[in-house]
Parts: sequence; structure tokens; C-alpha cells
Amino acid sequence: MKPIFRTIAIAILAGTAALPSFAQTGKTPTLPGLDSDVIEQWGGEEGVRNWVESLFYYIMLDNRINHIFREFGNIERQIFLNTQLEMMVLGAGTEYQGASMAAAHADLGITVTQFNAVVEAAYNACERVNLTYEACNQLIAALAPLERVIVTR
Amino acid sequence: MFNTGKVLATGGVSMIDGAGGGGITPWATITGYATRDGINGDLHYTYAPLANYTLHSVGAAVGFWDRFELSYAHSTLTTGSTFDTVGLVADTAGGLTGQLAGTPINTGIEPFNTTIEMDIIGAKVRVFGEAIYDSDNLIPQVAIGGFYKKNKNDELLTTLKAAKTKDWEAYISATKIFFPINTLINITARYTAANQTGLVGFGGPSDEDKEIRPEISLAYLLRKDTVIGVEWAKHGDNLEGESVEIAGLNLTELQPTLETLGLGNLSGTLTQHESDWFDAFIAYFPNKNLSMTFAYAMLGDITITPDQHGFYLSLQASF
Ligand code: HEM
Repeated sequence: MKPIFRTIAIAILAGTAALPSFAQTGKTPTLPGLDSDVIEQWGGEEGVRNWVESLFYYIMLDNRINHIFREFGNIERQIFLNTQLEMMVLGAGTEYQGASMAAAHADLGITVTQFNAVVEAAYNACERVNLTYEACNQLIAALAPLERVIVTR
Repeated sequence: MFNTGKVLATGGVSMIDGAGGGGITPWATITGYATRDGINGDLHYTYAPLANYTLHSVGAAVGFWDRFELSYAHSTLTTGSTFDTVGLVADTAGGLTGQLAGTPINTGIEPFNTTIEMDIIGAKVRVFGEAIYDSDNLIPQVAIGGFYKKNKNDELLTTLKAAKTKDWEAYISATKIFFPINTLINITARYTAANQTGLVGFGGPSDEDKEIRPEISLAYLLRKDTVIGVEWAKHGDNLEGESVEIAGLNLTELQPTLETLGLGNLSGTLTQHESDWFDAFIAYFPNKNLSMTFAYAMLGDITITPDQHGFYLSLQASF
């Protein structure tokens, strides 16, 4: 293999294989990258927190998934930790103090259908807090790769 | 089993051959709203009234576990004024040459309302990659698929000099959504010998080999329920510059006869051409049970008629 192809191959393997085993500690390296002013688009930490609150409002209204959160979740803790996590993946430099996504969801047997229900709640929450669709997709892009560790069935 | 767990709009729409994709190009996405947890199907009807032809396509498709797709479509192309004229000429000329040959001939072109019909079955398998979730790498979702197309107008296709009425096509598609820029890109390579997707048969008098033709769809996600975009599909040239043939005679060779009949002015219109297809579309997904695609299709020269541009409407119902 030519060195350049080897570098590309290693980069691709690292991108797909490494993420599941290591917890994410910073901004999601999306391709292409997120807008540089994404935190302003989201209204800073307060904006993100408003969104997380409405996210849980829509999750708890969705009969496909609310029972999981009712049984295994802790809404207050999750709103607090999700605000940190979303700030972090958007690149605000925030520290996330909760469990890794793999550890937090490992025992829940989450399906991709349930994951998508949360995605739909995420879009509804964006509309609820008057984020533009474009700004919303910045966070969608930053969270999407977590599907690989959160969905275990 | 039954599942509708995909996010709105991510099942795509139905392309004219019946597969899940854009309007004229199959994508690597599996049709319907089923995730890997189940099965989901849809019906579609597409109506494209062009200048001289009207295309109707009805079909059904089922997606299995977001992995595998089966589709069926029936296309009907009603031809208008130009074919009517050719049909009239053919009838007249056919009468003459038929007398010479001693047998009546059938060109497959009626004096009025010649209708081309084609059945298409398709299958697609998703091979690897994530179009949606893997926003942190550039690996696209890749699928391979194929169509078997059976055109029912044997005589007309002989007249138009196509080599075959039935044939298969294979394709490989790569699809990726780039959420940070709200954009979807699909690139397809189709291995085919089709003339006008098979509506004018497959291959020509000097060439019936398949070739690889590229197709590209570029879509911008405007809202979670609305997508706009453009498409391009390369078409072949198997029948490029060919005339229309009646009982072994080219209509251009029949020119003197036609002129005696006072139909000399047809000469220019009796040469076939084929253009690449383009379209610009807006697809609206009010909910997971319905999508509406409105497009402007620029199909260029179709056989003997130029400038076949017009609106395109496609409805898809998912269950
Ligand atoms: C991108 C999507 C998701 C993100 C960003 C996310 C984020 C989080 C976070 C930050 C926590 C807190 C971890 C901790 O307590 O230390 C958590 C816990 C939890 N998540 Fe998710 N989650 C996602 C998807 C889902 C889905 C699809 C479900 C179920 C349908 C789900 C169900 C839960 C439950 C029940 C807990 C509580 C677990 C426990 O405390 O033991 N999550 N999630």
C-alpha cells in the first residue's frame, strides 16, 4: 500500500472502530465541521438547557419510549447531564461529568427505532425553542455518531 | 415485524423504476420507514406530462430490515402528436412497401395514441456504511441493486431499431447526508444498455453491450419535512442518429416516397436522439404515510422528438 492510502485506511478504521470503546471528551469531529458560531446559534448554555428541557417534555409525551425513562431514568439528573454533554459535543469546552454513553445505555437494550424516536423529539424540541432547522442539524450531526454506542440491539 | 421507525423523510421517495431513491436515480437508502427492526412498504404513482409524451408509473416496494428492498413498477408512456404523424406515415408507407413485399407489416406505431408499456422488477441490498448516523466519517452508505425490465412493445422497438425488448441493469449507489451543511449527496453508477430507461428498449443496431453510466442526486434539506434538489442521469447513444425503420427500410430512404405523398417535411423529425436526463425537485413529507414530489424534468430529445421538458408529480403512500 502507498503510505497515503495506509494513512487514509488507518484514519477510517480509527474513526469507526475506536469511538465505541473510548468515551467522548470533546467536540464531535463531524465532517464537514460544525459552524464556528454554533454555540451562539444555540443561545449559549441557557439555550441548550431550554432545548434539553423541551427534549424531555417531548420524550415523556412519546408512548414509544417514555416508559423506559420512567422506569430507568432520572429526569432531573439527565437534564443536567445532557446540558453538559450537548455543550461539550458542540464544542463549548464544557466538562461532562456523567457516565460514558456506552455505560449509561448498556443495560437498556435500546433499538434504533427507539433511538430515532429520541431524534424526532430532538427536532420537535428545536421547533419548540425556535431554533432554525440549520442550527438544529448542527447538534444532530454532533450526536448522531453516538448511535453506534447507544443502540445495542 | 411491521416497523416505521425511521426519521421522517429518511426513507426517500420512489424513483421511476420503482426503487427507493430520488426521482430518476436509485439511492443506497432502503425504501420505506422500517429500521433494522422490521419491514415497511409503500405504493407510488408518478405522472409526468411532457411535451409529446406522458409518463405514468405505478408501483409497490417493500423494505426489509433496512437491508434489502424489493420493488415492482409498471410504466406507461403515451406518445403524442409526433408519433401519430409517424404512425400515419408508417401506415401509408407500410401499405406501399407491404404491397411490394407482399406481406402486411406492423410497425408497432398506431396512427393515434401509441402507448409504450414496461414492467420493472427491482432488488437492492445495502452492503455497508451509514448514510445518516456516521457524521464523523466520510464513508457513505453503499448499496448494490438491479432491475429486470420488460418492454411490451416488440414491434415498435423493431421500428425504432432497439436490439432488445427485455434486459437487466445493475447499479451501485453511495449515499451520505452531511447534517452540518443540510445536504444529501448520492452517486450511482448504472451498468445498462437502456435507451430512455428501457422505454425505447435496450441497445441499438450496432451496439448492444452494457456500459457504466453515472447518475448524481444533490439534495438540500430545507426543513425536517421538505427537501429540494437536482438530479442528473447520463443516458446512452445506442440509437443516436438512427432513423426509423419500416420493413427493413429506413424512413430516410423512403424520403422520395414520402415526398410524393406530400410528407417530405418529416425528414428532420425521423432521426432519433437521446439526451441525459435532468430534474429539479421539491419533495414534501407531511407525515410518514405520504410524500409528494414536484419536479421539473428536462429529458431533452426522446427518440424523434426534441425538448421533452415538463412537470413531474410523484405521490408515495407508505404503510
Ligand atoms: C443521542 C442520543 C442520546 C443521548 C445524547 C443520551 C444522553 C444521556 C445522558 C447524558 C445520560 C445520563 C448518564 C448518567 O446518568 O451518567 C443518559 C441516561 C439515560 N438514557 Fe440516554 N441518551 C440518548 C439516547 C437515549 C435513548 C434512545 C434512550 C431510550 C430510548 C435513552 C435512555 C436513557 C436512560 C433510561 C438513561 C438513564 C440510565 C440510568 O440512569 O441508569 N437514552 N442518556
